[in-house]
Amino acid sequence: MMLSGQAALRVGLLVLGAVLLQVSVVAQVTILGGRANLIPVVVAALALLGGSMAGATAGFAAGLLLDLAMGMSLGGSSLALTGVGYGVGRFGELRDVSHGLLPIAVAAAATAGYDVAYGAITFMLDIGASISALVLRDMLMAILLNAALALPLFALVRRVVRPVVAAGRLEPRRPGRTLESGPIGLRGLDVSGR
Amino acid sequence: MYDRKTIRRRRAVLAGFVVASVALITVWFGEPVTGTLHVLQRGAQEVLSPIQSGASRALKPLRDTIGWTGDTLSAKGENDRLRGELGRLRRELAATQTARRDVEQLSGFAEIARADGFPQGTAPVTARVIARSPTVWWSSVQLNKGSSDGLEVDQPVITGDGLAGKVTAVTGGTATVTLITDERSSVSAQVMPAGADGIVRPKVGDPNDLLLDFVEKGGRIKSGQTVVTSGFTASPGLESLFPRGVPVGRVKKVDRSELDIYQTVHIDPFAELKRMDFVQVLTAARPGARAEVPSQ
Repeated sequence: MMLSGQAALRVGLLVLGAVLLQVSVVAQVTILGGRANLIPVVVAALALLGGSMAGATAGFAAGLLLDLAMGMSLGGSSLALTGVGYGVGRFGELRDVSHGLLPIAVAAAATAGYDVAYGAITFMLDIGASISALVLRDMLMAILLNAALALPLFALVRRVVRPVVAAGRLEPRRPGRTLESGPIGLRGLDVSGR
Repeated sequence: MYDRKTIRRRRAVLAGFVVASVALITVWFGEPVTGTLHVLQRGAQEVLSPIQSGASRALKPLRDTIGWTGDTLSAKGENDRLRGELGRLRRELAATQTARRDVEQLSGFAEIARADGFPQGTAPVTARVIARSPTVWWSSVQLNKGSSDGLEVDQPVITGDGLAGKVTAVTGGTATVTLITDERSSVSAQVMPAGADGIVRPKVGDPNDLLLDFVEKGGRIKSGQTVVTSGFTASPGLESLFPRGVPVGRVKKVDRSELDIYQTVHIDPFAELKRMDFVQVLTAARPGARAEVPSQ
């Protein structure tokens, strides 16, 4: 697997920007008692456009950056976001992802998946967290807010990575028509020997 | 769609990231705070913190705008919630205040019954005021007790503070009380301790002022003295409807005119006739005495 410099730079900057924007701005804004979380949405958008491997890579990188930036236990967010990125990527590889409103459902599912996965990891690490009604409400609000932000965020991610994404992923897929690129989806992430 | 190699590679990438994440967790929790990962994390924070700080400062207007919008929406919801809470608290306050007033009024009955001179041998029936006359004179009220509770016409009615009126009509479950402020009311009373007798009449239109008429000039009456029912018996079969000793009011002022034979005493009634919620009907008042005062 080879990642072209341009693709890596764009995806890296996008992930870094999302993490910094999240921890510097979005996390400090409360809307209707909840906070949006851009990171799983951006990871999901990258995964939907780039495939499961690109999604897993973006998820791992975003999680690692988040844990480093916030002083959280290293690896927790990476593990959860890797799963989110891989799962959304596989979904994009197996289903028609051209429907205009699909990002809303994907963003909501990615956020729910991240929250549940990170909660499970937190429990397994036994760091004294507890599930309260407040936590559940925050999770629900994050899912709703992320769903509301999904369309503009997906559009932004698509715009940023458009030059390095295979053309077939940006257009409606016709029955029987296969993708021109490999499962990775990013031109820079070609599968060797193919 | 994909060959085996691609599938294996994809799974390998996933496994690699998962293993890397688990390894990071394991090492991070296992090492001391001076360990490699912790040092790396602190270094990353030092590198990222200026960027975060700059981004936070640069994007503050955006954050404030979003925050303002969110706060406005939250404030609207909060406003609705607080309005609901205010309504609930108002209802609770009203219920509490009503209960407190009820307790005060009911405890007043116990106090007045213990007062010196209060007529003994009566069997008070406590009743709730369920309707009031809509006129400005507050001349009559309706009670939720009637003949089935032992109430009869002409029985005296008191509040916890003093005399209120008398029963003028009864049904099985209700009774109408004509108050002492009604223009048709008159009550034989005397000023204590002077003992000057007179007839209490209302000053129509001013329920806070009763007049004790027909008081002979010889009696030495001062402001602040108490007026109670006299409960006189003039002759067999002619006696007051009101038993002796029920408080009526306090002397406010005395009008002494040289030309008049009698002096007029202004009384501030004890009973708060506008605000009474409970009254007691003295059902053991002597039956058959319908001779005169108060007139009907």
